Amino acid sequence: MAILLPVATTVLAMLLSIQAIPIPGYAPVTPAFTLMAAYHWTIYRPDLLPSLALFIIGTIQDLLSGGLTGVTALLLLLARAIVSGNRQHFVNRPFPFVWAGFTLLTGGAMLFLWTLHSLLAAELLDFRGTVFRAVLTISVFPVASFLLGRTQRALMSEG
Amino acid sequence: MIRLSPARRAMIQRITFPLLVLLSAVMIVLGKADQVVLESLKNSVMDAAAPALDMLSRPSGLVDTAVGRARDFLTVYQENARLAEENERLLGWQQAALKLASENAQLRDLLRVAPEPATSYVTARVIANSGGTYARSVIVNAGRENGVVRGEAAVTGEGLVGRVSEVGSRAARILLITDLNSRVPVIAEGSRQRAVLAGDNSEHPSLRYLEVGAAIRIGDRIVTSGQGGVFPPGLPVGVVAVFNGELARVELFVELSRVDYLRLVDYGLADALPSPLPLAPRGGKRVEQSAGSSSVRR
Repeated sequence: MAILLPVATTVLAMLLSIQAIPIPGYAPVTPAFTLMAAYHWTIYRPDLLPSLALFIIGTIQDLLSGGLTGVTALLLLLARAIVSGNRQHFVNRPFPFVWAGFTLLTGGAMLFLWTLHSLLAAELLDFRGTVFRAVLTISVFPVASFLLGRTQRALMSEG
Repeated sequence: MIRLSPARRAMIQRITFPLLVLLSAVMIVLGKADQVVLESLKNSVMDAAAPALDMLSRPSGLVDTAVGRARDFLTVYQENARLAEENERLLGWQQAALKLASENAQLRDLLRVAPEPATSYVTARVIANSGGTYARSVIVNAGRENGVVRGEAAVTGEGLVGRVSEVGSRAARILLITDLNSRVPVIAEGSRQRAVLAGDNSEHPSLRYLEVGAAIRIGDRIVTSGQGGVFPPGLPVGVVAVFNGELARVELFVELSRVDYLRLVDYGLADALPSPLPLAPRGGKRVEQSAGSSSVRR
């Protein structure tokens, strides 16, 4: 069952992303939980979170969130490709390296989302929401990484 | 599990990735073009995920209730004094309202005013929030099975929240009035100035198409005008919070992030909204469902 852990936690992250949490102003800046899970598992167990799984999870998230369908799927696929190409920099390295990598990834991802949505809406959308979301995503990552790491160690023998 | 040789596996991966990227891009373009395919897919996924979302949304609701209770407990005395004072004031208003209602009824009778269509509503709980920065919508736990119809107004006691944009069999999506794609014809109560309330994903939607030199002031109440036929006239929306001669922004009556329960009201106007499907049967079904229900359906 442990081999399902990456997919299961990513699905959980997806559900968490679309949760209605009654905090004023939270919805627009909801951290990109799915990106965190995708990043973590692409570094530690890329074999257990294949592109197809990320594509399906991303598509479902888009369909449920009411945003443009395909955007999250595309984002997660690109993130996976970029991270798996640079895995050697992060595997078995101290956490600050991993966090720095995620910071770069999130910055790029948020800029990508903003550019894509602005292009599709044919107007320059408010950039502040994007910045807040990036900052929140980067700040929450250590907690997510800790939880994912603990679960991974508890349920998986290797990796 | 099928064991593949590393070479073959690598080849499959090489093909899958560009294929999936292409598929995502196609979906983005399709979605942008508002294709029917994605509409039904969205509804099916929403229906399938509704039980999970419903379950997951309960704990956060409970925490919110607990925090609310604790806060209420601390302020119970001030709150009581405030309510007693408000009650006294409202009793006065009640008398005025009763008098006006009877007068209104008499005058309608005298003038033979055509009666307004009867309204019916469904109360539903918010089970998911759009987690994106670029869209504002929520999912509620009531759908076609509960009599929800596309185009219905979503309101709370305070005012307008949005409209039903997609309906699954047991869940529905509400497009909030702050969404980039939301346009609501409104009117300023004092000056009778018409405008379109346009969402831009911010908390304060703007008023567009105001006349040059429009006589609106900060604090003016904004209500729906009923033009376009999607919403009935007079639904409270908010007050003008910013006005600098050109740009006006509205502070909404409803705090959208704190909405737990919504009332989906059928004012008998749902047909005004163009159906996403070019086929007629859907419209036919809708009439069948809403006809005959003139009171609370749930």
